[in-house]
Amino acid sequence: MLDDEPLILLDLEFAVEDAGCIPLTALALDEALTIVRDEAIAAAILDVSLGKGQTCEPVARELAARGVPYVLHTGDLDRMDEGVRRLGGLLVPKPTPAAVVVARALEGVRPDPNFA
Amino acid sequence: MSKYREDQAHRAYDDSPDRFRAHHPDDAFDGASGVLFEQAMAQTRMAICLCDPHQPDAPIVFANRAFRALSGYEEAEIVGRNCRFMQGPGTDRAAVRRIRAALEQEEVIVVELLNYRKDGSTFWNALHLGPIYDAEGRLLYFFGSQWDVSDVRVARAEERHARELARELSHRMKNMFAVIGGIVNFTGRTRGIEAEAREINERIQALGRAYETTLDEASSGFIEVGQAIRSVLAPYDPQGTRIHFEGNGLRSDFSAVSVLGLSLHELAANAVKHGALSRQTGQVTVRWARNGAPGAPTIVINWIEQGGPPVDLQHLLLESRDPGIVDRMLAMARGNIMREWRKDGLWATLRLPLREDVA
Repeated sequence: MLDDEPLILLDLEFAVEDAGCIPLTALALDEALTIVRDEAIAAAILDVSLGKGQTCEPVARELAARGVPYVLHTGDLDRMDEGVRRLGGLLVPKPTPAAVVVARALEGVRPDPNFA
Repeated sequence: MSKYREDQAHRAYDDSPDRFRAHHPDDAFDGASGVLFEQAMAQTRMAICLCDPHQPDAPIVFANRAFRALSGYEEAEIVGRNCRFMQGPGTDRAAVRRIRAALEQEEVIVVELLNYRKDGSTFWNALHLGPIYDAEGRLLYFFGSQWDVSDVRVARAEERHARELARELSHRMKNMFAVIGGIVNFTGRTRGIEAEAREINERIQALGRAYETTLDEASSGFIEVGQAIRSVLAPYDPQGTRIHFEGNGLRSDFSAVSVLGLSLHELAANAVKHGALSRQTGQVTVRWARNGAPGAPTIVINWIEQGGPPVDLQHLLLESRDPGIVDRMLAMARGNIMREWRKDGLWATLRLPLREDVA
């Protein structure tokens, strides 16, 4: 999960745990990029606008290149950056209950063949 | 910028004072310093004109280059006409009346009014006019200086608009927080979980107070940390005598507000229930400062309770109540909290990364 608001991250973290997954959180772009590159992640939840004019676009692009499904969790659908929109993540508007956000993110995850 | 200011004619000697002098031989400066004065008047970027109130309809008798550049008219088109040729349909009649009254009373005034250039385009003119007397105190001329303040007016209008927006946003946000509080409370009531609902509501309202202070600086993207701290803690010290604030004008970006505000709310709520604020004599000092290594600045907040009940009891009660929510919030914000229980109260140190760099 990437969000510049720690409390939203905390809420999502609980919801991910409840869904039986292992949460990894990032407050900023660099943290998120490190996670994407170093960890085997099943799905991602990305806040679009990260403050100071930054968006999650670099992270979304990395995820798309790796075939990792992600949702764009944003409070600002109307003003959403064209570049981010074009990348085509699943849109989940804020506020949506954390459990629902996590469920949407997991929709795109294919079952692990080892557990099938 | 304006194309009217880009002419390079200032490189040449301006002969408009010569023509003025030819027609007004008694009103010229004498000698070499006179030439300097005249050239200064001719060359200044401030548009200047002189009108002769003794001629019919007080015509302009001199207009410097800046005046010509600003208005777009040639000298021959200006000299001999009354100043009102600069006015147009959008010019405020009240401003014109003030000018007329000042001329009649021989007063100095500054008026902003919409003026028209030769090409029909408009500009906001900060017109400064007043009388010029001779050595015997007889009225000779009226001077008028013109300054294009169109950009200033746009900036002022934008600033006013931004202030109105911030006020509206603040109003809506307060309203929204009040509505949310209402929903939480009546849900708790109907479900028989009033205490839980109150606790939730107190957190929500603390968050609302922390954000409220950020709106004044909404456009800058930064918050005054001290302001946020003060407003979060205000309800715990209505008299303003129990909580002491010590800090400088530390600024941070928005992302610190929520965790900072809620953490301090939790500490204050605990102090009211079990700590220094549970006794009449108890005091809390909140101190904030910038710290940390270069390139990795942090906000450090000291929370110092004094004059509270003996600490052992407090400690136990604290442990049993909602363990770790402050720790978890701060950890998620890449910060931490250290607690130390001294004889007469809790000393806590909160640390949060300070993101103060302007992108």
